[in-house]
Amino acid sequence: MKDLRIKISGTSGQGIISSGDILSYATTRKGYYVTTYRAFPSEIRGDGKCYYTLRLSEHKALTATGDVDIQVCLDEDTIFECMNNIKQDGILIYDSDLVPDLKQTRNDICIYGIPLLSIAKKAASERSRNMTALGIVVSLLKNLHLEEQILKDIEVRYKLKSQEIIDANKNALNAGVKYANEQLIRKDRYLDAKMTSTGAKLIMSGNEAIGLAAIAAGCRFFSGYPITPATEIMEYLAKELPKFGGKMIQCEDEIAAINYALGASFAGVKSMSATSGPGFSLMQEALGLASMAELPVVIADVQRCGPSTGVPTKTEQSDLFAAMYGTHGDCPKIVLAPMDVADCFYQTINAFNFAEQYQVPVIILSDASLGPRRECVDLIDFDNLKIVNRQKPALKEGDVYNRYEDTTTGISPITCPGDLYGEHVITGLEHTEENAPTPEPDVHRKMTEKRFRKLETAAGQFSKAKTYGSEDASIGIISWGSTSGPVFEAIDKAQEKGIKVQALYPRTLYPVPTDWIKDFVKNKEVVIVIEANYNAQFKSTIVERCTHINRGTEVLEFLKYDGTPFTPEEIYDEIERVAKLQQDKCALSTNKHTHF
Amino acid sequence: MKQMEINDYKGRVKPSWCPGCGNHAVLMALKKSMAELNFQTHDTAIVSGIGCSSRFPFFMSTYGFHTIHGRALPVAIGLKQANPDINVIAVGGDGDGLSIGGNHFIHAGRKNPNITYIMMDNEIYALTKGQCSPTSRIGTTTKCNPYAWTADRINPVLMALSFNTSYVARGYSGDIKQLEQIITGALRHKGFAFVHIVSPCVQYNKVSSFEKIKELVRDLPQDHDLEDRVNAMKYAFAPEGLYTGVFYKSERPTYEERFNDVIAKAKSIAGDNYTVKDSMKQFQ
Repeated sequence: MKDLRIKISGTSGQGIISSGDILSYATTRKGYYVTTYRAFPSEIRGDGKCYYTLRLSEHKALTATGDVDIQVCLDEDTIFECMNNIKQDGILIYDSDLVPDLKQTRNDICIYGIPLLSIAKKAASERSRNMTALGIVVSLLKNLHLEEQILKDIEVRYKLKSQEIIDANKNALNAGVKYANEQLIRKDRYLDAKMTSTGAKLIMSGNEAIGLAAIAAGCRFFSGYPITPATEIMEYLAKELPKFGGKMIQCEDEIAAINYALGASFAGVKSMSATSGPGFSLMQEALGLASMAELPVVIADVQRCGPSTGVPTKTEQSDLFAAMYGTHGDCPKIVLAPMDVADCFYQTINAFNFAEQYQVPVIILSDASLGPRRECVDLIDFDNLKIVNRQKPALKEGDVYNRYEDTTTGISPITCPGDLYGEHVITGLEHTEENAPTPEPDVHRKMTEKRFRKLETAAGQFSKAKTYGSEDASIGIISWGSTSGPVFEAIDKAQEKGIKVQALYPRTLYPVPTDWIKDFVKNKEVVIVIEANYNAQFKSTIVERCTHINRGTEVLEFLKYDGTPFTPEEIYDEIERVAKLQQDKCALSTNKHTHF
Repeated sequence: MKQMEINDYKGRVKPSWCPGCGNHAVLMALKKSMAELNFQTHDTAIVSGIGCSSRFPFFMSTYGFHTIHGRALPVAIGLKQANPDINVIAVGGDGDGLSIGGNHFIHAGRKNPNITYIMMDNEIYALTKGQCSPTSRIGTTTKCNPYAWTADRINPVLMALSFNTSYVARGYSGDIKQLEQIITGALRHKGFAFVHIVSPCVQYNKVSSFEKIKELVRDLPQDHDLEDRVNAMKYAFAPEGLYTGVFYKSERPTYEERFNDVIAKAKSIAGDNYTVKDSMKQFQ
């Protein structure tokens, strides 16, 4: 078996996330590739539903979505919800203590009603029911030999809690395994399921990848305010930064958070904050200050549904406009969008490098489907990471230091408090090269150009846009961020069905990568821009910015804004529809469309 | 180390305040205090928000950060946490610190960073040509409230005391000698030092002029116990006049010291040679 999907579902508070996390760590440590997807409500306990999907595979899988092999339901409601998303010949496990009489059924799957509650109560406690269920899965997948590793991972996860909790979880797991080994009459086809281990790898969430990269990039200061789904970055750095002599400071609000980071950056320390929509809105004014005063700072925006409080736990890519244009005034900054968990790491390294080199705020646009998602990442070669530090002037006594010296690159060498002969005042007011405030028209024009010149200098340094699929395809997909998994998977499927498609994923979204887009659309008859927002934010941006290129290419949009991530099926269906229209030489005008 | 003199602190930009503005006295008093304590320009940073008084950093030769409206304190605290060796002084006005930036004032008090915060209170928004501020007196008329100002005043000293600010003093721009004393005390203090300075605006505030303030001002009694916060609050409340001097002073661990403890604890778990590769191991 090359590929196996397991989904655990239930009500918030039943330990769905803990059991999913433990299973994903254990399977990674056994050497399988794991990709996950979590969905949870904002209530800690209550009626909200929680879902944790894991996909184990021999080769790196792109998404965790799709019909599952094994569905575990810890409550009654999700049984009916998930019943139709089980593969033919797949398995449904439910708690027969909770649901003595299962009303709905399917003849083409294997259903095991297990008295999870009684088993868990006898072995440990009612609360450990999630581990008993995990024990059943472990037993079903005997040949994956997960038991020992899961017991180890229970210890790791709860080592800071108590031995009592560790024992309760272990006992509940063992009891589940024992029950299934001894009493379950197997009718399913997974008895011989095997998977080849492919060696050491890492498993982390997108949020953790951003935190780890921040430390690797030399960040030693983080200030933030708790917000779903970005808090995990703060939690990781709270634990790790002090080990490096750094600080994670929880502030009174997001306005304070970004301003603390700017103060720390002025002091010469690489600084960042992380937030989501509402907090990102609060940070806009200070982002403008960073741009005007030319201070490096990195902000991760883990997007969720907006506007306002929106849907705090659900995903959307609707902060792109806010990231590009949110601040008032002509405000140079850089916006990066990582495609997956590994890319969260590498784009965060880039974010710090760009911020330090070009003295601009850099925004990382992650989202709720990427930030909390755990997936495997290949080992990182820390020794060969390129780390950039800000350029300092060489000063001696008597030198006159002008902080905003107008240079050909736009970059002015920067000093920080503590540096001899480097004293200067920075400001959000327009200022001369000598850092004196002024309303002079010539100065404002010249200095605006100087600040934007840094982006021109930077343009050559951005990591190339990723392409996927056939280069000679006439159908193109332009998309960004977390949609990459389902898009790439849909392209693979289309390829199998004889439809050639190529996708373009720029990781730098601002400054708008017009050259890459121009190059990409050269041989495309039609381009579908795929993104998770209502306003087609990236599409309208590139259409507006790329008016000078290939007027023959038709640009369609494929949007989703219900809080759930795209599935490969949805995208494949759209590709197929467009391919058919193209074949029939029909007008493509059934969808909102624009020409470049 | 060079022995600093008042003139060494002269900035590139000439003070832009109106002739007769109370802030000139504050600038002079701060320079005197800094010279007395021999603050080096490269080791000192002055951080401000927006407003007349917030132009302060431009008139000094130290490092300076003229930030955005209301945010002097978070920037100053962030700077201090990133490099505790820098002398950090936040400056600004009553609108900047009590209205738009009021929230940060609360949290600076309880966090106790080792910085000084000088608030120049002219009871008005002067840079925007005279609108009422949180310290304007009820009944004041301006273009924005031509009939009467309808909100009660904030008492900044009382606020600072209730936020657990560890050094609280008040001065008056008409008494530069006392200003120098309380600012020197604030710069020497280990912890968050708040200096409230009644600094009249000669242009837009005819209600609280130098003459009127002078009548109200009186020194705190010589025997006032500096560690008695409740008594300090009584003087801050006093209806009979405007007390000046040091209201309260007590030492407790600073924000930086508390973070040093956090770092020591984390390092005792991680060990001295902890690298990012070790941090990665938890994901392996």
